[in-house]
Amino acid sequence: MIGKELIGRESESVLLKIRQEDVRRFAEAAEIPFEDRVPTTYVESLIKANIDGFELTIPSLILGEQKISYRRLLEVGDRITYKRRIKDVYGRIGKQGKITIILIETTGYDFSGELVFSSTATFIAPEKGVDDDKSA
Amino acid sequence: MTSLHNYEVSDRLPVREWVPSHIQMRQYAEATGDFNPIHIDDNYARQAGLGGVIAHGMLTMAQMAAMLSDWISIEGGIAKLNVRFEGMVRPGDTISCTGFIRARSEKTLVCDLEAFNDKNERVLSGIAHINLKP
Repeated sequence: MIGKELIGRESESVLLKIRQEDVRRFAEAAEIPFEDRVPTTYVESLIKANIDGFELTIPSLILGEQKISYRRLLEVGDRITYKRRIKDVYGRIGKQGKITIILIETTGYDFSGELVFSSTATFIAPEKGVDDDKSA
Repeated sequence: MTSLHNYEVSDRLPVREWVPSHIQMRQYAEATGDFNPIHIDDNYARQAGLGGVIAHGMLTMAQMAAMLSDWISIEGGIAKLNVRFEGMVRPGDTISCTGFIRARSEKTLVCDLEAFNDKNERVLSGIAHINLKP
């Protein structure tokens, strides 16, 4: 169950070195060019920062919006510390009934503690989940 | 090739075409760890009422970002990329990512973005801020 009690819950910080082979694998899977610049959307694949009590891979979750901002471009070899936080949870009536909106923010900082990027994903969860539908 | 500094308001951006496949969606799941079955399990996606698997939203966004990066080349960088996923993208669809210049200043281009499928249905809209190198 996803509710407002999750707001503010955050992951531990994860230290990461941006490795060429990881970025190349990402770029090849997405079939996008990669030379030296880290692709803009790469930061949303940083999912090792788990938030206790919340699972991003809940099947019924649909990604509705995504916002990514950079203070500076990420490069291979950069070392960043990132974490995830549940920014907001609220209900809404959608076309297909009640839905829950969940905002997950990922922030990344460099070695000196300067913000490098922030990214906010807006997920939509139907009140009646996929698993509920299957058993109905 | 036109320099970014010569782009004016209402100028069109290049078009990037992309045709997602089941194989690519599986590879993307493995590369990112996003194994949500609505992207890789056709039976599951059908039972979920989606009519079959749909591409990861972030995979579609990556195509838009790639269009921008190709266009920008070494003349600048993407400072902000905000998108809204408006429609489902399925394997075999031909997706066209493009946009136009909404506003510009000496150091920044603001671009409206949109992606359409081959039925001319908009599947993504958004905005990008491009920082220009001097």
